[in-house]
Amino acid sequence: MTFYETVFVARQELSAAQVETLAATMTDILATGQGEVTKTEFCGLRTLAYSIKKNRKGHYVLFNIQAPSAAVKEMERQMRLNEDILRFLTIKVDTLDPEPSALMQTKQNRDRRYEGLGGHEEYRPYEGGRE
Amino acid sequence: MTVPVTRKPFFRRRKTCPFSEPDGIPIDYKDVKLLQRFTTERGKMIPSRITSVSQKKQRELSQAIKRARFLALMPYVLD
Repeated sequence: MTFYETVFVARQELSAAQVETLAATMTDILATGQGEVTKTEFCGLRTLAYSIKKNRKGHYVLFNIQAPSAAVKEMERQMRLNEDILRFLTIKVDTLDPEPSALMQTKQNRDRRYEGLGGHEEYRPYEGGRE
Repeated sequence: MTVPVTRKPFFRRRKTCPFSEPDGIPIDYKDVKLLQRFTTERGKMIPSRITSVSQKKQRELSQAIKRARFLALMPYVLD
C-alpha cells in the first residue's frame, strides 16, 4: 500500500451534488481495487488561472488515498475517459496530511497561516533589487 | 563576505533560505499564496539568487510551481 494524493478539476457546469457523486464513483473504483480514500475535500468552484476546454472555472476535489498502484492506475484511466474531469494530478506522498489542505484554507481563513511565521510576512524577494 | 553594519544606500535583507530552517515553511503545490511570493507579476519564477532560497529548496519550489500551473491554480503567463 502506498500513499497518494489526487487533485482533480471538474467542469464548471456540474452542480455540487454531481461533483460529489463523481467523487463517490472514483472512491468506489479505488475500493474495488482494495484501495481506501482517507480524506475527501471539496474545495468548491474556483476560478482557473487559464481556461481549460472553454471553462473559466472548475470544481476542485482533493483525495488522500492509500491504495495499491493498480487501483490508482484504474482510477486514472477512468478519469481520463470521463469528460466531466478537466484535469487530474496524482502524486505519491510519504505521509498523508489529515488537516485541511491549503486549497481549503485560502477560502476560509485568509491570512491566519502566515501570522507568526517569523518575518516571513515582510519577506519580499524583490526588495533591494539586484546586488 | 562581510556585511557592513552601517546603513548603505540599499537595505541589505537577511540572507537565509525561508524553507531550510528546522521549522521552515513546507513547500506545497496547493499553497498558491505562498508560491506566488516566488513568482513575478507576470507569473515567472524568481531566480534563487534574488530570493535566497537554497538550491535544494529551489528545486522543490520549482516543481511545486509547475504542479500548481498544471492544475490551473497558477498561470503559466500573465499579460
